[in-house]
Amino acid sequence: MRIIKNLQNFLLDQDYYIDIFNNCLHVYYYQELLTLTPTLISLKLKEFTLIIEGTDLIISSMDNHEILIKGIINNMRFER
Amino acid sequence: MKHYLKVRIKTTKKTDVILKLNKINVDIKYISYEKDYLVLDLLKNDLKRVKKYLLSYPVEIIDEVGLYKIKDNLKKHSLFFISIIFAIVVFSVLSHVIIKVNIIHQNKDIREMLKSDLASLGVTPLSFKKSYQEYEEIINTIKNNHKDEIEWLEIDVDGMVINVRVEERILTTPKEEEGYCNIIASKSGIITSILTSRGVPIVGMNDYVEKDDLLITGEISLYDEVKNNVCAQGEVYAEVWYSVKTKYPLNYTEEAKTGKMRFNIMVKNSTNEYTILKSRVKEKTVQKIFLFKIFNYEVYLEKEYEVIRKDKTYSEEVALKKALDNVHNHLSVNASPTKKIINEKVLKKSVKNGNLDIEIFIALEEQIGVAKPYTKEMDSDTGDTRNNGNS
Repeated sequence: MRIIKNLQNFLLDQDYYIDIFNNCLHVYYYQELLTLTPTLISLKLKEFTLIIEGTDLIISSMDNHEILIKGIINNMRFER
Repeated sequence: MKHYLKVRIKTTKKTDVILKLNKINVDIKYISYEKDYLVLDLLKNDLKRVKKYLLSYPVEIIDEVGLYKIKDNLKKHSLFFISIIFAIVVFSVLSHVIIKVNIIHQNKDIREMLKSDLASLGVTPLSFKKSYQEYEEIINTIKNNHKDEIEWLEIDVDGMVINVRVEERILTTPKEEEGYCNIIASKSGIITSILTSRGVPIVGMNDYVEKDDLLITGEISLYDEVKNNVCAQGEVYAEVWYSVKTKYPLNYTEEAKTGKMRFNIMVKNSTNEYTILKSRVKEKTVQKIFLFKIFNYEVYLEKEYEVIRKDKTYSEEVALKKALDNVHNHLSVNASPTKKIINEKVLKKSVKNGNLDIEIFIALEEQIGVAKPYTKEMDSDTGDTRNNGNS
């Protein structure tokens, strides 16, 4: 998965990716994890802040470039 | 390959811990949330940093992850896995080893022959089994090597035992022409019986024959004309007379063991014998037991039995009996089934110089016929054959 993303990033030269799956959100190339609560997670990306609202939100996996959020996502918005 | 560890951090503020871990850029492969714990799959290299930044949180390594977990398990249970592998190897090796080669045939010569052939072709106890094709090749090789001895051969693998079934080839070879022969007398005597299986008997019962007289001829004649020549066969028994002079010593030494026995060591080479210890027995008989051989020297254990020797004298009757036994042995009367004593008489008996001198007359019934070959010559005028033997 990561290999494909790296390849895509190399070929398309994107700053970030956001993939939404069923009850799952995968963010690639985030800069900082700002807030982490079971109902709200905010992530700082290059040009905006991604705010995810929902219930039972947890971080399932993370490193300094990508993060995988699981839970029931009700709302997602960008703040510039 | 990245080395991940499963780490358990005791905390009630899980989100705070995750934020802190995020701040220090820790690579977390998987996060699971338990009641009072946060269980993380994180890099081994990051663990030191985690411990440093989460000083107030007890961090505990609970397991390895991925291939390292398998490696760790293998290390923990290495003895068990080594035992399993060893058992598999031993079992597989033993299942391919022959422990017995069973050659099924009544004839010992055939069994020995096959045993040596199979050994030369690598089918021996404690050797590895061969494939079906290899056994077929071995069967063909042995059958080709022993065309006249082996009719059929089968090698059957029964577990760790090789059963070799063989059928012997019985050749009915045509009897070779033996040439022509007569039966002549090897000794002089009076004929007592004639048994002719081939040829024509010349002599009759109670006929006196001299040595080399013709007894059974190989010429088959009809009306004074020789029709055929064969190798005469038959048995001719005659009463043969012998006059024998012999002597037998009346004095002899008798040995009696005292029950005393001493051990000794004897070394022997091709020319001499050396006794290691000094013999402590004066009069003795020695029993030698071979121990071992070094280069050209053979080493024996000797059992020296002490004996007492006494000089004794035979009575005339006993000496006569022993002398007669000697004569019988000399004439092979007891050893030969074709000889029988008809009459025996002691003609003279005297004691001289400690010996019993006797002269005996013996009449034996024995087989006197022996085959003597001859060549036949064709008469150029008549076409008749003529016996050219010496008889």
